[in-house]
Amino acid sequence: MKRRHFIGAGLAVAGAGALGMRPAYSQSKQIVVMNWGGDWNDRTVKHIETPLLEKNGWTIVRELGEQPPRLTKIIAEKRLPRGTVDIVHLGEAEAYTLFSQDALETLDYSKIPNAATMVPSMKRSYFVPWLYSAWELVYNPEKIKDPITAYADMWNPKYAGKIGVMDSNYGNAMQTASIVASGKMDDFAGAKKMLLEWKKAVQPKIYPSHQQAQAAIKSDEIWMMANYRARGLQWAKDGTKCQVVYPKEGGIYQVFGAVMPKRVINKEGAYTYLNALLDPKAMAGLCADNYYTPPTTAVVVPGDVGKMIAFTDKQKSTLHYANQEYWAKNITAWLDWWKKDFLST
Amino acid sequence: MTAGSNGRETRRWGGATLVLPALVLVAVFLMAPLGLILRYSFDKYDPIKLMLGVFSPDNYIQAVSDPFYQNVLGLTAKIAALSTVIVMLLAFPVAYFISRVESQRVRGWLMILTVLPLLLGNAVRSAAWMVVMGTKGVANALMINVGLISEPIKILYTPTAVVIALVSVLLPFAIITLQSVIDSIPTSLEEAGQSLGHSPLRTVLGVVLPLATPGVVAAAAICFALAMNAYATPVLIGGPTMQTMGPVVYGQIAKANNWPFGSTLACILMAVTLILTVLSTRYLGRKYF
Repeated sequence: MKRRHFIGAGLAVAGAGALGMRPAYSQSKQIVVMNWGGDWNDRTVKHIETPLLEKNGWTIVRELGEQPPRLTKIIAEKRLPRGTVDIVHLGEAEAYTLFSQDALETLDYSKIPNAATMVPSMKRSYFVPWLYSAWELVYNPEKIKDPITAYADMWNPKYAGKIGVMDSNYGNAMQTASIVASGKMDDFAGAKKMLLEWKKAVQPKIYPSHQQAQAAIKSDEIWMMANYRARGLQWAKDGTKCQVVYPKEGGIYQVFGAVMPKRVINKEGAYTYLNALLDPKAMAGLCADNYYTPPTTAVVVPGDVGKMIAFTDKQKSTLHYANQEYWAKNITAWLDWWKKDFLST
Repeated sequence: MTAGSNGRETRRWGGATLVLPALVLVAVFLMAPLGLILRYSFDKYDPIKLMLGVFSPDNYIQAVSDPFYQNVLGLTAKIAALSTVIVMLLAFPVAYFISRVESQRVRGWLMILTVLPLLLGNAVRSAAWMVVMGTKGVANALMINVGLISEPIKILYTPTAVVIALVSVLLPFAIITLQSVIDSIPTSLEEAGQSLGHSPLRTVLGVVLPLATPGVVAAAAICFALAMNAYATPVLIGGPTMQTMGPVVYGQIAKANNWPFGSTLACILMAVTLILTVLSTRYLGRKYF
């Protein structure tokens, strides 16, 4: 090969790569998945991707990381003629944000047979719910002898310096404060007032994410925090001294699932993936492992774990559901306030 | 025109043609995104539509007039300046020592040791600092064991911790830059200074340092620019409550989806870094070059 041909070919390959081009693979067996990393992805691979997809000839290309960059990427790709991602794992609020920006495909549930037994109220045209839990209270019963029953207990000055909050879950923290203020989840003014009072009364310790928060509970640096029931149960299983309590004000419903971005290339692969996510047998194993609750009635999680992750009728009736439209419109203002007025002062 | 000048002309054009592809690549892949960011910075955010396609200075007015962003920029500049000063104070003696080691083999090993931390990512190095600086980390355990303190003290998630970690990140860049400059200063000049009765320290300060000033300024400019734009270190070592410009820009773009305001902050950060670097370089240049 002549030097100029070699250089030309090299530039063409580099150029194609830089422009995000890839061979059309609508008929291929490759699915590009964006997901959280860490144990969340480990369990997805172990219970879903390897047994149900990779062993059946599918190749899963994983792009792992935090949720905000995933949103940014999908929004950025909206303007491109072709996307680069087939499936994105997200929380429902974030999925709604993308949906409201016209960045998601409308799903055809006839191509997801495992969704037939899904709780109808959970189904969304743009989002397949996969695992849910509630934002509850996690505390160390060896350190806190008085029974903890309510979100409001976190405002007790008796626990000053021993309560934690995660920066990554600022939205849940603000919703919690809103509920304590007025019983509603979208009382921004009430939430701001309660959070400033909280800061003054108990000086909560702020952690970047779940991992640091768990380490803090484990080392007795903090004794209590609000978190997902599933996380609390996972921590207890890992040997962290903690107990999970459903707050009497009602927990905050939180559901995680998957979406298909607009301009998805391997649509067939994406539907196969979504259907695999809801496979009853795989989900039973997954939920027994991560303590999240399945959204389909076909999934039966046996034994104590099944009891721990099930929501009683009373709990179901008191769960708080976010107003997604309000949330999508106001999330930036809430985040701005959290950074400027809560974290910095 | 003579045949010789014609040949030179052809060579010049030949050189320009060879450079052209690189210039085009830089223009397309570096300048075009920057131009796009500049355009976004004048746009207006909308929670649903993301950007409205208008041209307004509102974002700049908001960023400049909001005390929060003033404080963030001030803190970032302070941390960057302090880290740069510490780095230069530590790097110069090390670079001088490496430069004056006679054995090529030992010099080679010392340079490898200097560059070694750069082979690890910033995030990995920051994670290691987290283990050292945590409440139950190595530093606290050591201080408790030797009786310096009785209770663990808070090191992680403080500006001091960020400065320490940034110094460790920037040190190799400064040493490499300074070492190459000091290498070019003949040792005969130092010998001349010492023959006139100067101590080794006075010779270094009076002869080597003034001659190495261009290198010192270049190294300081690199370190300052890197520290101003640092992301992983402030996020991991500074924690959620410490706000510096890099993470704040990221937060606006990736967490709040407010691309216009994030772009505005990015442009301000670029402009301030550029202005401070140019001003300090020109000031030092006028004073010492």
